[in-house]
Amino acid sequence: MRLTATQRADLWLRQATPIALTVLLAVLSAVPIGMPGYSAVVPGYTAMAAFYWAVFRPDLQPPFSLFVVGVLQDILVATPLGMTALSLMVVHGLAVSQRRAFLGKPFALAWLGFVLIHALSAFGVWLLVSILALQPVGPEPAVFQYLVTVTLFPVVAWMFVRIHRYVVR
Amino acid sequence: MARRPGSFTNVAQPVRSFWSRFAFALLLAGAFALMLLGKADVLLVERFRTGVADVLSPVLEVLSRPAVSVADAVASMRRLHDLRTENERLRIDNERLERWQHVARRLEAENKALRALANFVPEQTAGFITARVIADAGGAFVRSAMINAGSDHRVRRGLAAVTGDGLIGGVVEVGDRHARVLLITDLNSQIPVAVERTRDPAVLAGDNTRLPRLVYLPQNAQVILGDRVVTSGHGGVFPPGLPIGIVTSIVDGAIKVTPYADWNRLEYVRLLDYGLDGVVKPSSGTPPFSLMGPERSQSGRLLGLGPR
Repeated sequence: MRLTATQRADLWLRQATPIALTVLLAVLSAVPIGMPGYSAVVPGYTAMAAFYWAVFRPDLQPPFSLFVVGVLQDILVATPLGMTALSLMVVHGLAVSQRRAFLGKPFALAWLGFVLIHALSAFGVWLLVSILALQPVGPEPAVFQYLVTVTLFPVVAWMFVRIHRYVVR
Repeated sequence: MARRPGSFTNVAQPVRSFWSRFAFALLLAGAFALMLLGKADVLLVERFRTGVADVLSPVLEVLSRPAVSVADAVASMRRLHDLRTENERLRIDNERLERWQHVARRLEAENKALRALANFVPEQTAGFITARVIADAGGAFVRSAMINAGSDHRVRRGLAAVTGDGLIGGVVEVGDRHARVLLITDLNSQIPVAVERTRDPAVLAGDNTRLPRLVYLPQNAQVILGDRVVTSGHGGVFPPGLPIGIVTSIVDGAIKVTPYADWNRLEYVRLLDYGLDGVVKPSSGTPPFSLMGPERSQSGRLLGLGPR
């Protein structure tokens, strides 16, 4: 079956949606919204996206694109270059390797998976920041950010499910 | 997951499986390499960073506008709610400030007279650049703000960034159309300050919390709660006398300063240009070390605190 140009463009756009969405989330996580204390606990939107697409459509989330998004986010929020990229790769890698455990299971299980995998990557980031700063960094903001991220995961995942169902297909 | 026939995932399958075997390890290594390069302050990495941020700054500028207006709307609703108490408070404030104004006028006159007497060399007057904050998120580990003015607007490294309340930080990265301000609460921010009441020199060190610490105070310094902390001008980065905050907690020798700046409403910042070069060497491309860490002499003594 041959596809017409419009069909091909349509398909391409649909398949590019996950990464485009992650890029958008990376930019959004740098935008000030004027909420008290928000900037310190900006949830890791991109980590949620990386996990979701790694589990449900890993074919649409090539590691290289994810790496580029991570570097982009590092530049935007001024974290050490490569740090977010590394944490996203870790989330992606772990999620892809464990995805069979989440597919076709209740959502709570995927949530639990995210809670565990994101804990690992968040701890890794904290460790790296501490090493780069040559001193242990206060863990409170990191813990708080982690909690906000895993709490908000169902909300953002719900949005991903909609997009997955109606746009990506 | 069923793939459609003819989709490009099918065509690219052999390439992809080959790529994915090595890609992952390669990318992980790449991320580590980037981090090391960034830590080593390679000029190329710096240029890449500012270049990309420059390209993205218009996007952030557009996106930050609706966010700010929503926040403004919420804030104005809240203000409407306690208008009456606010009014009462302002009336009392006004009375108090008018008394202060008298005092200030008298002191100003006296100051002028004494300066004339002592042949005082006046400090350079400051030029300033006002810019809007277009990105302020740093997550758990960085406290910085991106603003929409860059070298096109004659922003230089090391300029002091203030709001109406007080100092918020210094410029550490300058692109053509954007600049990044390292906030005084950031882990890497260390600013020479002085306790206003006693003129004791110290360093204000950020630790990523909202309350930076006062460190390297002289042995006999006596700091009490409520002491005002201002920039000391040592090290020649920031002009002296910029208000920063007040001492609000002294526990076990750890002195915490609450900055005057309202971190929730960082909307516009003013960059003060006193024409100070200080320890910042914009041409060499190295970061200003009084911002990125304390400057040390060869013997390891902290510089920037006393006479050179």
